[in-house]
This record gives sequence, C-alpha cells and structure tokens, in this order.
Amino acid sequence: MPNAILDPTGATTATATAKPQAPRAPRRADLTGARIGLLVNTKQNAAPFLDEIGRLLIAQHGATKVVNRTKVNFAAPAPDELVKEMTAECDVIITGIGDCGSCSASAVADGIAFESAGLPAAAICSDAFRVTADAMAELRGAPGYRYATTPHPVAVLTPEQVTERAAQVLGDVIALVTEQE
Amino acid sequence: MTEPLDPDAAQAAIEYCYAQGWSDGLPLVPASQPLVDRFLAATGKDPEEVIGELEQVGRNCTVYLAAVNAAMAGCLPEYFPVVLAAFDALMRERAARGGGWQSTSGPAPMIVVNGPVRHELGFNAQGGAFGPGFRPNATIPRAIGLIVRNAFGIRPHVLEQATQGLPGRWSICLAENEEESPWPPFAEDGGQPAGASAVSATLLRTCEFVDNRHTPDPEHVLNDIADTISRTGSLIFRDTSAGVVFCPEHAQMLATAGFTKQDVQAWLIEHCGRTGADLRRAGKNGLRGIARFADADTSGDGTFTRILPTPRHVPIVVAGARNAAISMVVRIFGEWSGIATEVTK
Repeated sequence: MPNAILDPTGATTATATAKPQAPRAPRRADLTGARIGLLVNTKQNAAPFLDEIGRLLIAQHGATKVVNRTKVNFAAPAPDELVKEMTAECDVIITGIGDCGSCSASAVADGIAFESAGLPAAAICSDAFRVTADAMAELRGAPGYRYATTPHPVAVLTPEQVTERAAQVLGDVIALVTEQE
Repeated sequence: MTEPLDPDAAQAAIEYCYAQGWSDGLPLVPASQPLVDRFLAATGKDPEEVIGELEQVGRNCTVYLAAVNAAMAGCLPEYFPVVLAAFDALMRERAARGGGWQSTSGPAPMIVVNGPVRHELGFNAQGGAFGPGFRPNATIPRAIGLIVRNAFGIRPHVLEQATQGLPGRWSICLAENEEESPWPPFAEDGGQPAGASAVSATLLRTCEFVDNRHTPDPEHVLNDIADTISRTGSLIFRDTSAGVVFCPEHAQMLATAGFTKQDVQAWLIEHCGRTGADLRRAGKNGLRGIARFADADTSGDGTFTRILPTPRHVPIVVAGARNAAISMVVRIFGEWSGIATEVTK
C-alpha cells in the first residue's frame, strides 16, 4: 500500500465539531413602539445610510427611537459586550453597510449574533459581496441566512443618492425583521 | 541500481491535490506522513500547538497543519523553522489577525530573513532578490499562502475578496544582503540581537521600483524615493506606511554621505507628503476621522501634509545585487508590528 496523501485543511476535525444551526429570534408583528439599534461599521456612507433608515422607521412605521453604535473595527465581528449592550437597549438591529471583503462577512456575522441574543436583525450588504456574506453565514451555522442588499457601489453616493437608496431597501429591511418563517 | 521514478504516479497524485481544491493554481507536492514527519522533526514544537487563529471564521493552524502545507509548497524539511518564524512574525500584524486576508486590497506578505540561516539554507540575498529562482525564497512564502488557503479556509472569490490582488502575492521572501549593507541587519530593528537568525514579516499592497543610477547626489536619490512614496493613489488614511528595500549601491552611497538608517528614515518622514492642493485634486484633502475624503475647502491648498508618522512606518531593508542603483518602495498594508521572530530549531 502506498502512503496516504495528507489533507492540509484540518477538515476532519472541523467536521467533527460542526456548528449547530444558529437560532433565529422571534419576529415582531410590526415596528410599532420598537427601539431600533443602528450598528454602523464606519464604511463610507454607512452612517448616513443607516441614519436615514432609522429616520424612516420612526416617521413612517411607528418605531419610537434609534440607538446608534459604531464598530471600532469594521473588519471583525462586533465584540460580545457590544452585542449584549445593544440587546439590552434595543428591540431590533440594523447593521451595515457590508461594502468590503471582511466587513460584509462581519455584518452578516453580527446579524447572526444578534439573532442568537434574541433580537431580529437586518444586515445590509452591497450586492458585490453576496458570496462572501453567504460563506460567513454558513460558517456561523446559519446557511441561507437572509440579509438585505443594495447595489454596489455605496461609498461614492451623494447624500441625495444615499437617501434614495435607504428608501429603496427599507421594505426589505422591514420584511427581514417582521416576517415569520 | 535505484528504482526508476514513476512520473505517472506523481502526476496522478498532483492531480488528486488539484481535485481537492488545495492548490494555489500551481502543482503541489503531495504530502505523505513520512515527509511531514521529517518537517515535524525539524522543530521542537508540539504538532498540536496552535500557532495562529482567525476567530471570525472559526479556524486555526497547528504546527502539524503548517507542516503539511509547507511540504506541499515544496519546502525542504529544514526550512520548516523559518516557515514557523515567518508565520509567527506575520501573525503579529494586526491586519493578518483581522480581516486582511479577506480584504479587497488582496495584500501580499513580505518576509525578510536575517542571520546565518540565510547561508545554511541557501537563500538568495543578491541579484533578483524579489525572485524567482531560489527554492527557500520561493517556497516559504508559498507555504504561508497555502496555510491561509487551507488551514484558515480563506479562498479566492469566497472569503477572499481581492479586487485585483497584486503581482507577487505568496512569493516575496527577501534575505537581507547583510554582507553588502552598510547598516545593521533589519532583524535588529525588530528587537533581535546582532547575528541572530530571525524573520520579519508584514503585508504589502504593492512594490514600486525607483531607478536612479546616474547621479552621485544622495539627496537626488532620496527625493526620487520620496516622490514614489508620496503618490496620491496609495493614500487612503491620514497616515501611510511605506518601506524601502535599498539596493546595495544606493545604501552604500547614502552611508558614505553619512546617512545612518535612522537618518534616512527621518529624512523621508520630513520630505514625504503632498500639498493640500495636490490632495484636493485627487479628492483626498479632507479628513473624516482618519479616512480621507474630497473636501471642497481650498484653504489648505498651500499646506504641506506629511504622511509617515514614525520610523516604524518606514522600515528599511537592503537586498539585491550591487550591479545597478535600483531600489524598491514597498507599500505596506496597515503597519508593520516592529517585531522580528527568532528562528528556533
């Protein structure tokens, strides 16, 4: 018998410890009275984009207030303390904008973390990063995790265009945090 | 008489590795247990020791997995301590522990080897320092690339999102030309004692040559280098970092004129930068936090803005042949940790 060819991935151990299906938070019927957590990842235009979504949810959909938080490191998933803190202060989380290789994956990882903490979450990514966002969802035990997308690019949009984009994606964001499976 | 080698079996094994998705695009050496055992015998480390972790993707690399990937990359077993030192040095970089491998910028590790290990293992420190042509220089950075691909699971088009990447990714491993450098070895800048075999590493966004071989004036050369460092295309934050890999001729010219390495760094910190007007024309004159943006305000047009904050942001290495005065600006992704790792057997 010849020697076996060795596997360089460590996949045998990874499979043995495969992650269980990540939990999904219960959905609200609507956003009346909801406190909206906006988790901004500091990518260009992320702050005004999420601010506008927060404004629309208060003005048109009965949300009571927004809680703004900013990630210190856009490339990494939000630290546990930040997830805990926002979970205590908010009813729904909106996070983004996933507009780069690491931050799109991280935005989705954050959405999944908030779901596990019991809050419905909507991550928003640029549509150029679907594959990496989906790959991260799978790694986090949430294959097929749904998030909202907006067309690439986001960073070059004018303030007026950001407002338009926020309005365009609003319906998807609301559906993500309210629709029962 | 020795047994004839079997090319058909070798080809089948290589194709098997491709089919598993393990390859960076080039043929791999199929790794067997006896080969990997020789790698593990070259280090005193426990095969199960975790030497790097990427928390966001839930993956880590053990000494054993590093050995398998180094074998597949074409390393010899005796290179393995250098692979481990290079990986250690690289994992000290904030970008390498964070999202760097996933980045749209597609950065390349730059590995710098110092000390007697260069001769013991046959590194090239002279002509063609950036490669190709020499087994340790070529296979050690390739091993790092395979570790990122296979052990960390960061693959192109999936978790790796490089927009264009850059030429030389997984192939830049310099051995410093200490014999023709007028300055102390780079590993000393990283805290290692004189004469140590040690490895330094950082991540690059690109390499840009500066060809200046006709002037005897060291300030001409420094101004030429400063112009390359200061180009607006590379500026995205308030601060930047760019090293210089000096050819021996430029380094010796500077040293003869009285420049220490620290003097060169100080000169570049002072002279690298752009006027507000230059930055405004490229839409990079404003600062929001540390990120540049296009500010319509012209009041800063006449101000010269420096871009290199500290000497650690201008690492200096000497490599290459003494046959022409051509040096390389190496554009650093993030910033260098400033720490070199000793090669231990």
